[in-house]
This record gives sequence, C-alpha cells and structure tokens, in this order.
Amino acid sequence: MPFSFRIQLFAVIQVILTALFTYIFVTNEYRDLSEQNVATLEAFLIEQKQQELKNYTEIAKASIQHIYAGAAKDDPVAQELVANILSTLIYDGHDGYFFVYDEYGTNIVLPTEPYRVGQNYWDLLNDKGEPTIQILIENAKNGGDFYRYPWNQPSTETITEKLSYSDFLPKWGWMMGTGVYLDNVQQQLISVQTAIDEHTDNTRFIILFVAMSSIFVIFTIGTILHFTQKKESDKQIDQLGQKIITLQEDEQRHISRELHDGIVQILVSIKYSLEATGKFLAHQNVEKPVPLIQAQTNLSNAITDIRRISHHLHPRILDELGLSDAMEALGKEFSERTNIAVTITKPALSKLLPDHINITLYRVVQESLMNIEKHAQATKTSIDLAIMDNWLTLTIRDNGIGMYEMNENEPSLHSGIGTRNLAERVKYHRGQFKLTSSRKGTTVVAKIPRSAFAHHYTQKQEPILAESI
Amino acid sequence: MNTLSPSPIKIMLVDDHPMVRDGLSACLSFYDDIAIVGACNDGTEVLQTAKQCLPDVILMDISMPNQNGLEATEIIKETFPDTKILIFSMHESSEFVKNAVQAGASGYILKDTDSEEVYQAIKTVAQGKSYFGSNIAQMLLASPTNPSNERLTAREQMILSHIATGQSSKAIAHTLDISVRTVEAHRRNIKSKLNIDNLAELVRYAIEQGLVNSA
Repeated sequence: MPFSFRIQLFAVIQVILTALFTYIFVTNEYRDLSEQNVATLEAFLIEQKQQELKNYTEIAKASIQHIYAGAAKDDPVAQELVANILSTLIYDGHDGYFFVYDEYGTNIVLPTEPYRVGQNYWDLLNDKGEPTIQILIENAKNGGDFYRYPWNQPSTETITEKLSYSDFLPKWGWMMGTGVYLDNVQQQLISVQTAIDEHTDNTRFIILFVAMSSIFVIFTIGTILHFTQKKESDKQIDQLGQKIITLQEDEQRHISRELHDGIVQILVSIKYSLEATGKFLAHQNVEKPVPLIQAQTNLSNAITDIRRISHHLHPRILDELGLSDAMEALGKEFSERTNIAVTITKPALSKLLPDHINITLYRVVQESLMNIEKHAQATKTSIDLAIMDNWLTLTIRDNGIGMYEMNENEPSLHSGIGTRNLAERVKYHRGQFKLTSSRKGTTVVAKIPRSAFAHHYTQKQEPILAESI
Repeated sequence: MNTLSPSPIKIMLVDDHPMVRDGLSACLSFYDDIAIVGACNDGTEVLQTAKQCLPDVILMDISMPNQNGLEATEIIKETFPDTKILIFSMHESSEFVKNAVQAGASGYILKDTDSEEVYQAIKTVAQGKSYFGSNIAQMLLASPTNPSNERLTAREQMILSHIATGQSSKAIAHTLDISVRTVEAHRRNIKSKLNIDNLAELVRYAIEQGLVNSA
C-alpha cells in the first residue's frame, strides 16, 4: 500500500514538473517568437512604406520634370509652377502630401497648412528634441534618405510617428519630401501581437488542462489500484491464515499420532512387561512387591492421560473411520454431556474426504455444537451429512433461541470469531458456508463441491493395492 | 474347541509395535492352552502370514501404517471365515466397535486390558462366542446401533469403486486375489445395502457420491 502511494506521488510530481517545464518553455518560446515575428513584420511593413515613399517621390519628380529640367537657377515662374504641382499631389486621404523647404528651412509647399508658407522652421524641434527640418534637409542633400519622427497627423490632429523621405532639387536648393504616418503599421503590429498572445494563452490553457487531467487520471487509477491491491493482499492474508491453520492441524495430527502410536504403544508394552514380571514372581511363589503395583497403576494413569491429550490434539477416529463416524462419536459425547438429543444422518460410504477437508468439517461440527451448548438453550440438535447434486452438504440444526438479539426491527447477528473462521476455512476448500438463525433455532450449512474430493478415494487405494498384490 | 483340548489355541498377533507384541507374548506365555504361532506388522501382511500359520484367533490392532485392522479383518474373513478376530486396540469409541463387528470381528478389547482378561477374551472368541471388554460392553449398551442406516464396509466400498471403474467380477477377483464367488457375494451385499439392483445405477451412485471421479 505505501509502495503504490509512493508511485502515485512520484507520477504526480513528474506530471507537475513536466507541465511546469512545458509551460515555461512554451511561454518563453512564444514570447521570443512573437517578438521576432513582430520585429520582422515591422521591418517588412516599414520597408514597404519606404518603397512606397520612394515611388511617390519618383512620381512627383516625374510630374515636375518637364518644368524643372528647362528652368533656370533662379526662375520664380517655374518655381511657382512646380510648387503648385507639388501642392496638388495628395494621396492616402489627407495624410499623404508633399512638402518643400529651401535649404535654409523656409517653407515653400505645405498643402495641409498653407499659411505656414514663407515661414522659417530651421530651428523647429520635434517631440524627440530633434531639429526636424534640418535633418530632412541634411538627408535630402546627401542624396535622399528616410527619417522617422513624431509629427502632427492632419486627419486625426494627433502626434503620430511619421516616416518621411526627402530628396533634393539642387538647381534651386530645394528640399522636397513626403511622408506617411505609421499609425496603421502600429495597429497591424498590435493585432498580430494580440493574436499571438491569444494563441499563447490557448496553449497555456491546454498544458494546464492536460496536466490537471493527467493528475486526475493518476489519482483515479491509483485509487483503483490501491483498492484492487488491498483486495488482493486481503485475499493473500486470508490464504496465508488458512495455510497456517492447515499447517497447525497437520502438526497437531502429527504430534497426536506420535503420542498415540508411539509413546502410548511403548507404555503399553511396558505395562505387559510389568504384568509378565508379576506373573513370573507368582510362579516363583513370591508376593507382588508394592512398588510394582504402584508402577502399574501410575503407568495406567499415564496411558490414559496421554491418550486424552492425543485425542484433544487430533481425533484419530477421523483418520481411521472417516468423518461420519467421527461426527457420530462427537455427537454422542455431546449428547451425554449436555442432555441435548442429537440425531445423525450420514452417507452409506465413508472415508471419501482428504484429510484437510475432513478436519475442517469436523471443526465445523465441533464449533457448532459448542455454540449450541453455550448459547442456544436447545433441546434437540441434528447433524446431517449427505452427498447430493455435486455437493457434500453438512447441516447442523438446533431448536434453540437463535443467535439474534431480541429486536424484531433490526436483527443483528452475533456471529463470533469462531464462526467467521469456520466460514473462511470452508471457503478455503472451495466450499460455501451459511449460518441462518431465527428465534426458532440456528442452522449451519457447510458445503464442499464434489470435485474437491472425488479423486481422493481411488488415489488413496492405489498404493495399498499395489502393496497387497 | 474347548479348554480341555490337548492342542492349544493358535494365536496370531497383528500389531505394528514389536514391543507391544513382545510384552503381550511374554504375558500369554504363562498360559499353556494358547500358543502364539505368528505375528506381523501391518494389515497388508495379515493374509500372507495367516496362510502360513493358520491361526484360530487373530489379535488385531486397528491403527497400522498402510492398511488398518478393520479392513484386514474383512480380508481374513473372506478367506478364513472360521478364524476368529479379536480386536486389540487403543481406540475406545463405540464407532470403532461397531465397525469392527461389521467387519466380522468376534470381540473387542482395549490394549490396556490386563493380560488375564486378554486370555479370557481369547478363550471366549475361540469358542465361537463374542467378547467385549467390560467398558466396551457398557459403551455399546449406552449407544444402541442405528439399524436404519446401512453402511458399506471398507471392503465393500473398495469393491464398489472397482465396479464403478468398469471392472468385471473376474477382474476384481484377480486384482484382490480372492475368488470370483467372494466378489459376487460382496456385490450382492452392496446392492442389497444400497437398494440398487442394476450395474448402471451402481456406477452412477459411486460417481454421485464422489467415490470415483467421473472425469
């Protein structure tokens, strides 16, 4: 039992550790994976935006090319035309527009806020504390580059991260740029992050669920195993108990036989030797000495005592004549002692049973008669032994007061340790044991299947026959 | 036979304890009109020894290693119906006495009986009478035998087991080294005791009672 509990505990710990490990591992993996994914996606989206911005810029440059190419270095008419064209290039709702500053930071084109045209923004700092226009001009002069910075988004009137590309018109010293707001990129990233998080949560839930159900299954199986094992070990204990009883009976039979067939016989021979001595002395006309007479008396007492002990240990009549006669002797002795009338019926055949079944049924009779004597207040008892319908059936009945308490509603049975042991012993020989009791008497029925002894008689006869031939 | 007969009563002792036999022999040697002519250790040797020494009376122990004295008694009575058997046993129950009488014994005395009484018992059974020790006789009076229940003797039961395993009377006679007539006599007794008159019923009965295994 403690062993199975230890295994169970071990399994549960194993499951918990595995689940914990998987949980941590999966959480970490997912976090790494999601960070990686988001970064990759962001890079991809930004790259896409950059490409877009470059394309817009190319389109814008193409749309002013016919004027710019032929214009002089200082050509206000051409410059006016180009500024107008760039002002009208609006894409992506209101948020996609072109802006132009001269190389000193004075605004030339700003379609969303035309009132800023002509004002200088060279020193304007954005929320990151960087001079936005200076950086854009710098990028433009360096052959065109991208710049990310926080900026007011016209459509929402909020500060949003903006990605701008600026290019340079060297002839006029103009910085021309356009940008996109990255709010939808952020949103995309957030939704991807959310999806990954949901997935992670699902996985975590599955891990927890699997772990919990595993623990439940282990406990269930463990409990079932525990009970099966307990049942099994109980059965083994019962069998062991019966084995011990059987061994004990064997031992008792052995000692009884040694006493009866060994020591008593020696004493008997001594008795006859003493008698012979007496006769010899009589022939010599010598009177029997007193010590000899005493020795003979003591010897007779010793023989009687040892025979009584031997019989108490094991009734030899059971081995010599079989259960029927042993039972009858027991019943007769009981009847003489208690004045309870005993009737006995027995089969016409005898000595059909192996020793262990013999002694078991004998003990059933013995114990039952003892119970009757002690508790039943009976006047009549019957002991029936019969072989019918594949069963050897021993029935002991009395007309006493029964073993019930005098409570009609809830009759509780006083079946003592003795009776329980008898039941176990009978069952050990594949038999059945039943005790029924009412206020009109008690009936004990012990049954042994014929198959448990049918082989016994012929097997036992064979060696004797072999010797006698 | 009477006590004045010039030839002494021939006695055979059957007991698995040589010391008991010796002690008893020593006691009985003081009587001139009985002579111990043979002895053996076990029921299985009884018939062989009896054939050699032809005793008038056999003093028979019951508890012996291979075949007990009751079965041996029946076997002797089959071949030597005139030989008297006097059971000489340590067993005191009336069941033993009843079984002994059923087996064909003429008397029953306990082993701790005085040799004088043993002598008297031998003389009595040799005359064709029954003899039971004083305590035995009392016991028999106290528990009258139950005549309603016809039980088979050990020998009859053995022969029934042979019949049930399909052996003919001739085969059984051969196996048990007795005459076919004896087997037939047993067969009649068995049928009458069990109140069965055909072979099939007899076989069925033996199987039902677990005397032989049907399998």
